[in-house]
Amino acid sequence: MDIQNYISSGKLELFVLGDLNETEQQEVLSMARKYPEIQQEIDAIEAAMFAFDKASGKNPSPAVKDKIFASLEAAGPVMEQEDSPAQAEPVEKEVNLYPGINPWKPFAVAASLTALLAIGAAAYFAYSYFDAEERYAIALQQNAILADDIQSNQVKLNELDQSMERLLSGNFERVPMKGEGLPMQEDALVDVFWDRESREVLLSVNQLADLDENSDYQLWAIGADGPVGIGLVNAAEKLNLQAMQEAVEAQAFAITIEPKGGSESPTLEKLVVLGEIS
Amino acid sequence: MIQGLRARDRQVQEYLYEKYSRALFGVISRIIYDPDLAEEVFHDAFVKINQKIDRYDASKGRLYTWMANICRNAAIDKTRSKEFSKSSKTNTIDDYVYGMESESGTAAAVDGIGVRELMAELNEEQRFVMECIYFKGYTHTEVAENYDIPLGTVKSRVRSAINVLKKKADII
Repeated sequence: MDIQNYISSGKLELFVLGDLNETEQQEVLSMARKYPEIQQEIDAIEAAMFAFDKASGKNPSPAVKDKIFASLEAAGPVMEQEDSPAQAEPVEKEVNLYPGINPWKPFAVAASLTALLAIGAAAYFAYSYFDAEERYAIALQQNAILADDIQSNQVKLNELDQSMERLLSGNFERVPMKGEGLPMQEDALVDVFWDRESREVLLSVNQLADLDENSDYQLWAIGADGPVGIGLVNAAEKLNLQAMQEAVEAQAFAITIEPKGGSESPTLEKLVVLGEIS
Repeated sequence: MIQGLRARDRQVQEYLYEKYSRALFGVISRIIYDPDLAEEVFHDAFVKINQKIDRYDASKGRLYTWMANICRNAAIDKTRSKEFSKSSKTNTIDDYVYGMESESGTAAAVDGIGVRELMAELNEEQRFVMECIYFKGYTHTEVAENYDIPLGTVKSRVRSAINVLKKKADII
């Protein structure tokens, strides 16, 4: 360590002026302890500053002295006033000497930035959460709808299954009924399936016009004793087997339009389709 | 003397006042030009010195240096407080010197050897650095940053300025 260099660095002057931070102060103090030349230089600077201050200074007014000693009396013998320690100690003061660089400022800035980021993240995650929540609700709803669909399809499938089984297990003969040549509905087509042994009658609508609310299609089995009503036909249920009442014996099947609920005997003027058993 | 001060011995306090009040008040008046305000700060600082005397560590320097730093910091604190108008900070050594010279009403007689004479020995650069650090209370790093002067240059100017004052003080 070049002592002369150290002395001429200007550090010692700043030390005396209280313009060094704690670490630098400690460094100067330990250097001074090690090297008498440095201590001498510090002494010289201190002496010079005192001489300069004294020479350039001026005496305060006597009133101030009275006031000071009045304050000292009033303060009592032992009093450790812990007002702002930063004002009392040059070391701590050093930090405050930088008006633009408040030591807490970087922390405050960092804290603010962190807070902002946290708010942003919170907003983002909240948005994501509610978005996910919404989509989850929609998915649940769709799931329920699908489940309903599956349920109803299952029911339909069972119905079809049963019809199919019925049709296959029985000895049904198909009796096509047509509207051809009849005045009501030329294009009407309905099939009847009849099992003579079990007397079961099934019906499948191929083409039947919709009726008004006050009328129904009624199926008749026409045998030796005349027509017997064996149930109302649902025109809307097309190409599906509808179970009708039993037909004991028949030479032909026919459908007429009757008042709502059906009639005892057919209204022959409103004969829609007719099919004879071959 | 330190022991006397620690014991709150009135006589020792008086002695301290007689010996140092002029220089310490000088330190404050350099920074605060308003005499009433300067006396107020001096009052507070001197009372504080007596109260905090237990914290004075002789191994860290002379008593005067410790006290001068308390006074200087008290004055700087005042200039940076809200009540202190900013315009005062723009004052220069000349203002201080002229202010002192024009002052005649105070009980204190102004010696012939004034700041002006001492400062006249400094060159422009030394004067500027001393003005900032010693009179306005900037730190050397602030001076370096605010005026774009390398830190080492600021330090060496402070040193050369104080060297000049040292020689001058010897003559005094």
